[in-house]
Amino acid sequence: MNPDFTHPASPWPHRWAIALACATFPLLWVGGLVTTTDSGMAVPDWPSTYGYNLFLYPWTTWLTGPWDLFVEHGHRLLGAMVGMMTIVLLALLWRRDDRRWMRWLGGAALALVIFQGVLGGMRVRFDERTLAMLHGCTGPLFFAVTVAMVVFTSRCWWLRESSAVPPSAGYIRRLALVTCILVYLQIVVGAVLRHVPVAAEPGAFVLAVRFHLFLAAAVTLHVALLAWFVLSHARTIKPLGGLAIILAGLVAVQLALGAGTWIVKFSVPAWVSDWISTGSVAVQDGGWLQTHIITAHVAAGSLLLATSLALALFGQRLLPFASAARDAVSRRWEAAV
Amino acid sequence: MPYRTLAKFVGIFAIVALTGCGQTEPPAFRLDMVKVTENEISPKHQQAIADILGAMFGTPDAPFAMPETGLDERKLKMAAGPVWSNEAGDKHGLYRRHCAHCHGISGDGQGPTAAILNPYPRDYRRGLFKFKGTFTAAQPTDEDLRRIILNGVLATAMPAFALLPPDEVDALVEYVKYLSMRGQMETALENYVFDEGLEPDAPLDPATDAELKDIIVNDLLAGVMEGWNTVVEQVVVPTEEGIPPTDRSAEEITASVNAGRELFFGAKANCVKCHGPTGLGDGQQDNYDDWSAVTVKFEDDTRALADEIKGLKQDLKKKTGDERAAAEKELKTKVAQLAVRNELIAHMLTPRRAIPRNLRDGTYRGGRRDIDLFWRVFAGIPGMGMPATGPSAPGGQGTLTEQEMWQIVDYIQSLPFEPISEPQVRRVNVRTVN
Repeated sequence: MNPDFTHPASPWPHRWAIALACATFPLLWVGGLVTTTDSGMAVPDWPSTYGYNLFLYPWTTWLTGPWDLFVEHGHRLLGAMVGMMTIVLLALLWRRDDRRWMRWLGGAALALVIFQGVLGGMRVRFDERTLAMLHGCTGPLFFAVTVAMVVFTSRCWWLRESSAVPPSAGYIRRLALVTCILVYLQIVVGAVLRHVPVAAEPGAFVLAVRFHLFLAAAVTLHVALLAWFVLSHARTIKPLGGLAIILAGLVAVQLALGAGTWIVKFSVPAWVSDWISTGSVAVQDGGWLQTHIITAHVAAGSLLLATSLALALFGQRLLPFASAARDAVSRRWEAAV
Repeated sequence: MPYRTLAKFVGIFAIVALTGCGQTEPPAFRLDMVKVTENEISPKHQQAIADILGAMFGTPDAPFAMPETGLDERKLKMAAGPVWSNEAGDKHGLYRRHCAHCHGISGDGQGPTAAILNPYPRDYRRGLFKFKGTFTAAQPTDEDLRRIILNGVLATAMPAFALLPPDEVDALVEYVKYLSMRGQMETALENYVFDEGLEPDAPLDPATDAELKDIIVNDLLAGVMEGWNTVVEQVVVPTEEGIPPTDRSAEEITASVNAGRELFFGAKANCVKCHGPTGLGDGQQDNYDDWSAVTVKFEDDTRALADEIKGLKQDLKKKTGDERAAAEKELKTKVAQLAVRNELIAHMLTPRRAIPRNLRDGTYRGGRRDIDLFWRVFAGIPGMGMPATGPSAPGGQGTLTEQEMWQIVDYIQSLPFEPISEPQVRRVNVRTVN
């Protein structure tokens, strides 16, 4: 990709992309809530809601009805809103962004959000948990696309400040890319864990749990390295330094939420009773704490994906290519790995 | 390169995930293959048993309750089947929504999450329940099951479902009993086939065999139901005068605690044997719980079979003619049996020893009320090796008097506050055994 440093004429694609990403995140949160509260089949038909057009379903019934109906129908409404916002973004890109690939990306985003909606619908129509799992994997992917469009339309993408070639630039670029892939892989494994069929063998679940823990360690290691390299060598290149700090913070939060998820779902592991009392209160199923810690863990995964993707994209754009920037530190590290 | 290892891991995981998640068939009840293998039940009889159970109890999506079971079919239908709810908020598929991921579709305690949990989820099929207010050999009452569902089991993955409406809890209680009865009936049928020594191809169809139908309904099912139907008579109710008053003086409590300590360490109650001199649960550590003991026995038998096969192979070299042909046939049969057993072992939960409770933790899984602890002392904990000190049935004679049991309860409740002169640091309740 050849850098093009001509700033676009209109700020609206960027502003709308931000709005879209900001609308998508709550959609993901509520989507996570649908799974956590097992609300997926609270509305048995699709695309209608109990026979009503999605937008014409009586709002009083929605707001005052059962909790799972509120969550599921709310998820559908939010999804529809995000879909419409994607159409608007595509129109803005078509009219206000000269980059052809960017228009195609807008089109791809629209196709993805439609695909995601249909997946969700089919999950309901067929009451199929495997489709729910795919739906749970595609959601973060769409969120990542919206964040990518925020990046591509941002001021930082267009106006690169001139700076010296930072050491380890190539390594940072590759590390950011690998981190992003690992995070998405982790999201997929998380979706498998959440949608495991009731008739699955215990061994399959154990494998998924171990893989999830292994990937958690891998992601943590990669983020730590990435943050260290960025803050050591490319802190001054906006917005890499800020993104690296946010990414490291998110990983810390996500690890805490992961541990919390285990505790509110399966109680404190028995081996912990060596050090602390296992408490006088049993795990509360469906309680506020359980519901929101688990859902926050799911949503934070998407946030981690978005941040790592933004860092990877900005890294590709703003850091010189590897051949010019590889230094002794980078080579040593790569040799060690 | 770690990335290559990662790529391999991803590949293996993807295959397992895709095959594991490709299931679209409605989940079905599974037979207890350990029992089936141990009893050497032929495939034909396995299918016959599954058919009989299907006729008596239906399927996970469409449960059926014979009148003899006394189960409420409306509640069963509410608990069974896939998860969904209607516009009014009536929930269905409650068992799959709340329970099946740990306890399994068949109630065998082998749901997908089972292997990561300690203790393992309860296997309902034996009709054996740990925390209840009935005599040691008796089934739990509905109230016992309801209490566990509502309060959960402390320090385990069994959550408290206190937020569920009463009708949903009632439906789950009914479904747990249903799975338990179904499991007990399965065992009764498997034992019947074994005890009768039926030939592998012998018919086993109550639809065409009136005598068999009579045996199944009036003998086997009646045997299963006897325990459930008489449970009301088996409730342990402590005598009013024996219950310690709530307004006891400090001296009276201290005297009771001291008496409880004497009993704890004495030969009569001998709690120290398992719970240890410090009460940390550091007494004997070698026993398995009843569920793991089945696995251990199966593994031991499988090892013995493997040794027998080695011996047969050695002997085979010395044999010729018809004798060799017969030995080869026997060897082939045994090798096939070994393969089946090894396949089963690969999918079984690793056996765990029954580690006695750390009484200084103050965490009582079966409940922390005085009456909960009294029931534990009175009736023990079935399946865990914790013996009853009360009579095994109404009207019987126990090891301890009720007064002595209450004294032990007092001592147990004092333990978390009693200093240990030489605290022992050890892992509590986590040891798994290869």
